[in-house]
Amino acid sequence: MKYFQPHSVEDALEIAQTAEATFLAGGTDLVLHMRTGKVQPSGIIDLGKVSVLREIKITDGFLNIGSMATFADLGKSELVLRNAYALWQACQTMGSPQIRNQATLGGNLGNCSPAADGLPPLLALGAEVHLMSAEKEEIVPLATLLGRTPLLGQETLIRGFCIPLKELKSGFAKLGRRRALAIARLSVAVALEVNENKVENVRVALGAVGRRAFLSESLSQVLSGQELNQEWLEKGVLEVQRIVREALGTRASAPYKRVAVSGVFREALESIITEGGIQA
Amino acid sequence: MIEINLVVNEKPYTLNVEPSERLIDALRNRLGLLGTKEGCGEGECGACTVIMDGKTVNSCLVLAAQANGSVITTIEGVGNRRSPHPVQKAFVEVGAVQCGFCTPGMVLSAKNLLDRNLKPSETEIGIAMSGNLCRCTGYDKILRAVKIAAEEGAK
Amino acid sequence: MKSSVIGSRVVREDAWGKVFGQTKFPADVNLPGQIYAVVIRSPHPHAKVLGINSEKAMSLEGVVTVLTAKDVPNNSHGVLFRDQPVLAEYVRMVGDPVAVVGAETEEIARAAAKLVVVEYEVLPAVFDPEEAMTPAVLPLHPNLRPTNVLYHMPIRRGNMEEGWAKADIVIEKEYSTQHVDHAFLQPEAVLAYVDERGHMVVQTATQYAHYDRGEIAHALGLRFSQVQVKTLAVGGAFGGREDISLQIIAALMARYTLRPVKMENTREESFYSHSKRHPMKMYYKTGATKDGKLVALEAKIIGDAGAYASWSINVLRKSAVHASGPYVIPNVSIDSYAVFTNNPYAGAMRGFGAAQTVLAYESQMDLLARKIGISPLEIRLRNHFKVGSTTATGQVLTGSVPLDQCLAKIAPYLERGGDSQ
Ligand SMILES: Cc1cc2nc3c(=O)[nH]c(=O)nc-3n(C[C@H](O)[C@H](O)[C@H](O)COP(=O)(O)OP(=O)(O)OC[C@H]3O[C@@H](n4cnc5c(N)ncnc54)[C@H](O)[C@@H]3O)c2cc1C
Ligand code: FES
Ligand code: FES
Repeated sequence: MKYFQPHSVEDALEIAQTAEATFLAGGTDLVLHMRTGKVQPSGIIDLGKVSVLREIKITDGFLNIGSMATFADLGKSELVLRNAYALWQACQTMGSPQIRNQATLGGNLGNCSPAADGLPPLLALGAEVHLMSAEKEEIVPLATLLGRTPLLGQETLIRGFCIPLKELKSGFAKLGRRRALAIARLSVAVALEVNENKVENVRVALGAVGRRAFLSESLSQVLSGQELNQEWLEKGVLEVQRIVREALGTRASAPYKRVAVSGVFREALESIITEGGIQA
Repeated sequence: MIEINLVVNEKPYTLNVEPSERLIDALRNRLGLLGTKEGCGEGECGACTVIMDGKTVNSCLVLAAQANGSVITTIEGVGNRRSPHPVQKAFVEVGAVQCGFCTPGMVLSAKNLLDRNLKPSETEIGIAMSGNLCRCTGYDKILRAVKIAAEEGAK
Repeated sequence: MKSSVIGSRVVREDAWGKVFGQTKFPADVNLPGQIYAVVIRSPHPHAKVLGINSEKAMSLEGVVTVLTAKDVPNNSHGVLFRDQPVLAEYVRMVGDPVAVVGAETEEIARAAAKLVVVEYEVLPAVFDPEEAMTPAVLPLHPNLRPTNVLYHMPIRRGNMEEGWAKADIVIEKEYSTQHVDHAFLQPEAVLAYVDERGHMVVQTATQYAHYDRGEIAHALGLRFSQVQVKTLAVGGAFGGREDISLQIIAALMARYTLRPVKMENTREESFYSHSKRHPMKMYYKTGATKDGKLVALEAKIIGDAGAYASWSINVLRKSAVHASGPYVIPNVSIDSYAVFTNNPYAGAMRGFGAAQTVLAYESQMDLLARKIGISPLEIRLRNHFKVGSTTATGQVLTGSVPLDQCLAKIAPYLERGGDSQ
């Protein structure tokens, strides 16, 4: 196995183009998969020394997050706290301190587990993904990218994420078996705009109920353009339960998750509702 | 084999490692630093915790090559019998040590917290220690020891 | 009574070595020239080993040898009965060891282990102890027991008919508990070598060094005096290191190769290889008068011993003895069983059979209290053991029964709504 440790994005892309090699970010997924034999790369491109990939900054109306930003970096970032609250919340409970220090947002997408904590907030916040290869560069909405199989070509680098700055209120909640080191059994992220007590552009994303995290169209329709009150909340609860029922079908976890999602959904809205000033 | 340079417990080393070799293997097998323990090999237990560039990581999930250029502290680099670190002293005095297999990782997580935060709240202590499992103590004395160490250190 | 020792704080002498990371656990000791051994375990719960082909594994550079059942002089071990093979020809559970590879490095040994081809004849397996008890199911240990019932402990006291006649309220329920792993933090590890005297030295973490020594000697056909077991720091055990695990296999490899042999379980191997807490199915019928006095208990407890006996007899005996809880019940009929199945074998774990029955008898107390209309505390106050009480097994308690003090202490918390925090 070959091991590359490039210092720039250009070098990384060049190596990816010429050698048969897999990108390595923090390694919290890849190192395990290599040990179990699930992945047997013939080469590794360690992105750890490409420092530009760790940047978190604001440019042209977007919050830009480099793919190598760790969950610990994001969870401590003022910019993330102010502009992508749901993502900030997800970073507080993901894994453990040791995992958060090592695991990256890019790796979370690269691994793309159904329970990946970073993806529902990014979906709800309308994030776009910046992809690069030696031959091509594109910016795709995350929701579109998650529809692709395979997710990425081997030579494609996740350069970063762009979250539009739209004064969204957002929230995230997850259900795990315990508080630390718990893979999500279910996760919900919500983002919306509030205009004079009316909610607009509601986006709800669910994790751990399907093959990959997804945005719910129907929830968006049921909940957008309405007044933010108790009735609105209960309508959301009913609809989210219906979606979970449909998504899980006859799976063993279905009855449990259908009930649990109501609590997780309410929790995800907690921060929005208290900030939004309604008495729910 | 890849050549890597790293500083472990304030000593510089140049090592030749396999690309798939984990940091824990390099520390234990190449440097003989056996205080770093492997409890699960998959990031769940924290027994393999070391401090890398000021942050705790699970050395079972980091490749040795990823540590190229890093500064690492293992349990061997914290305190000694003549002058134990306040965390080590508190662990012994409070009775936070039973079988001791989790202890090196626990001490490093606690030390790293106190390096960053001289007056941690109970919640902050809880979060800082949440990546380290102990099957013996029930945690209460461990959390108490960290609190006492923080109070000692803040004096 | 004042004493300078009781009630005073002492510092554990071994704690200092542990906080500095100096303490040696078995994975931390090595010898020059050592080889590594890795076990090949059965993926089937019940099977005959028809053949083992190690040619491919042997052709890997650095592989020293592959050992199987035929290489074990006396192929059995076990704490109560020697019913467990060192290397199995007949598999009774997933994880039974069938072969062991020795190689120059751990990587080579692990790679070689994947190349050993084991041919099995897969047999029908039974996982439900109640099904396993029926005469239609063939016994897993015909040499030990004619059926899968390894053990039955009946306890009879008073007169059941009279008891039920006095009962105004009867609660009848089924309870079950699951397998639990000790998950001690330090996975099993061993270093075995033949020393300059020709003696087998085995360094390991064990709860039971003297027994390990006897089992190693027996399996290898050595005299006790030729085997020395050194216990290093034990990284948690909780009952899970009472049965021997890698020790005999490592010693066997050392004897064949005359090289020091190191073995370390991964966490996954550890889960496969050691005992579990007994899952129990508990049928409880409890009767009380309308003023909350217990009058009758009928209980049937079925413990899943899994594939081997281990401590099952002692564990299910303890379940039977504790089945009535700390309560006076004049009429009692308890039957406790340990039953072989093809599940992972069950053995010692903190509580040793007393923990599972708590779920049943305390739930029964709560349900009775609710039906009678008194508080959960009240029903316990009316029935608990005191000095002079007679237990279900006829033991008269003569001293140190401070349950009343305990209940008095927690009463305020219970009254606040059951949250002891
Ligand atoms: C104990 C433990 C607990 C965990 N808990 C959680 C949890 O609570 N929530 C959660 O969501 N996840 C959890 N995880 C999973 C994991 O930590 C995350 O998925 C993490 O975000 C992966 O990031 P990484 O940097 O470690 O990725 P790596 O392991 O380095 O890479 C993961 C995959 O992404 C690819 N990749 C990485 N970066 C790029 C890039 N820039 N471009 C293209 N491809 C790339 C890699 O090739 C690889 O296929 C846990 C893992 C462990 C071991
Ligand atoms: S051994 Fe690394 S976390 Fe358990
Ligand atoms: S003291 Fe044994 S695991 Fe913590």
